[in-house]
Amino acid sequence: MNVHILGCGVSAPGLPDIEALSQVLAGGELGEDKPGSGNISLLSPRERRRCPETVRLSMAAAEQACQTAGLDPSEPDAVFASGMGDLAISDYMCRTLAETPDLLSPMRFHNSVHNAAAGYWSIGAGGRGDVTALSGATDSLVTGLMEAASHILTDHRPVLLVVYDSAADGPMRAVWPANHPFASAFVMGVAEGNQGSAIKLGPEPARVDDDCPSLPAGLAERAADNPAARALHLLALLQGYHRGPVHLAARQGPGLRIEPVT
Amino acid sequence: MARTAAGYTPNRMNDLHIAAMTLTCAAGTGLDAVRPALLKGRSGLRANDYPNCSLETWIGRVDGVEDVTLEGDLARFQCRNNQLATLALDQDGFRESAAALLERHRPERIACVIGTSTAGISSTEVAYRNLDDAGHFRPEHVMPWVHTPHTSAAFVAAALGLNGPVQTVSTACSSSAKVFATAARLIESGWADAAVVGGVDSLCLSVLYGFHSLELVSPEPCRPFDRDRNGLNLGEAAGFAIVERDPGESLGRLLGWGETSDAHHMASPHPEGAGAIAAIRRSLERAGLAPEAVGYVNCHGTATPMNDRIETMALRTVFDTPPPASSTKAWTGHTLGAAGITETVFSLLALNDGYLPASLNCNEPEPEAADFILREGRQEKVEAVMSNSFGFGGSNCTLIMGAA
Repeated sequence: MNVHILGCGVSAPGLPDIEALSQVLAGGELGEDKPGSGNISLLSPRERRRCPETVRLSMAAAEQACQTAGLDPSEPDAVFASGMGDLAISDYMCRTLAETPDLLSPMRFHNSVHNAAAGYWSIGAGGRGDVTALSGATDSLVTGLMEAASHILTDHRPVLLVVYDSAADGPMRAVWPANHPFASAFVMGVAEGNQGSAIKLGPEPARVDDDCPSLPAGLAERAADNPAARALHLLALLQGYHRGPVHLAARQGPGLRIEPVT
Repeated sequence: MARTAAGYTPNRMNDLHIAAMTLTCAAGTGLDAVRPALLKGRSGLRANDYPNCSLETWIGRVDGVEDVTLEGDLARFQCRNNQLATLALDQDGFRESAAALLERHRPERIACVIGTSTAGISSTEVAYRNLDDAGHFRPEHVMPWVHTPHTSAAFVAAALGLNGPVQTVSTACSSSAKVFATAARLIESGWADAAVVGGVDSLCLSVLYGFHSLELVSPEPCRPFDRDRNGLNLGEAAGFAIVERDPGESLGRLLGWGETSDAHHMASPHPEGAGAIAAIRRSLERAGLAPEAVGYVNCHGTATPMNDRIETMALRTVFDTPPPASSTKAWTGHTLGAAGITETVFSLLALNDGYLPASLNCNEPEPEAADFILREGRQEKVEAVMSNSFGFGGSNCTLIMGAA
């Protein structure tokens, strides 16, 4: 099925925005500086301090995507896809429950839901449509793309897809060894008219490994480091760095083949 | 379909049927146990006996979950949530129904969409209580297929041999209502021909102490819509359904759904119920039904003072006179990520059995709800039923099911 990408965004160390990504794709160096929260305008300074890290991470990418699409952030339905949710909050919850359960923070508890990033987004953007949150573990990008595409095809309206995962500190590194957080966002719309770039998405049954045109070394490392950063292959295609096709694997169910519509 | 005042033009999908369903909750393991519990007003709640938890409250705990062992390839999924899922899959001939579905469709054309909020977190809690001296998980706790929200859908797909799109929806208490909308979209847009949907949530310290920290837990059996209600009880449940276009037998049709956000607060509902009202209205628009066509509402009805007051307000806003309605949470506890499937199954039972369950423990109803909240079960044939699910993050989902 064909969809238009109307705008995209990125948020990761050394990649505070799409412009920074373009520079790395053009041969620039990939830094390690964590993106500041200066890219987030939709939360008050107080909310920015109180909200979990993954909210800041995902929201920065989501805002950029809406901005480049020229879309009011309150408008699109949204799909938030994350394999693990906020690992720092899970760590806090499990440690506190092991030691002093009666002292559990009510705010951190309600921030521990998997849809925290989705919820803060709808509050910040004022979006009252469907803002969903899903997980596909290491394949959340594939799951999220299918979910977003199915929204577009059934409701014929633009959808914001945000794919993010953090890095684990502490014991959860044993099951989620990512070293760098990563978020990307895509405003996707019905494939008609001339706005944005059109891509074709199709299922690929039984694909066990990603197969994509090569990326600059630093970005390839990131794509291998954090499953959410597999979106770099799609971002590189959208930035015209290569023409695809991008084959994304899935451990269960179909993978995806993505290529430009010519 | 006419463009609505909200500027939202819902797209009416082809008819989708519920081909099979099952439910395991505190009120009963399988529908043969759940049905008589509903008829006789037999609650599944008990005084809190969850291990390592000293809170004074009542819980909806399912017997026998601890005794389930996942074997062979499924051993990598061993945790309370997936043990509960296994127990539920074993009831009501659901595995046979899934096998029959696999005769009708190729495995890669059957989606698996499961809602959860707790996932395997009770196992993560245990792993943290038993860290080694260096602060790492001990080897037996390094279970990547358990310590992720996605454990739920991944496990069900593996257990049933489904190979279509696999998705875990995790939007707190609306999770396993939204799975029906997701399945409908995946089928309508061609990613799948049919879907196994459901929800699984299991008791754990995170939710027991978490809701306690928010001062939302009642020390007594919960009393939804009672004027003296003082909070919720937590519960666990697993339920599943098969969603398909043309099954041989049908338990009902998915007529409509509404998914909205409050855009207000992470843990408190919108004070005027804006998101709830919008979800109910969208579900009616999508179903192409006037409000009076709905014969029964299974409310979210958590028994917190605020939820029940705002839900009452929302129903009063949409319906001139709300239809007979009840909350079934005094049977099950609030099963969070499994609340949507639990109460959708209750709604489908109402549709099929012609029996509308009471709002158990509602002795003195909230005055505003007194004329429509069922204080006793009622034999009544209805053609369409509604189920509400509202969650943290302001995530709302309303479903409408119609007679087959």
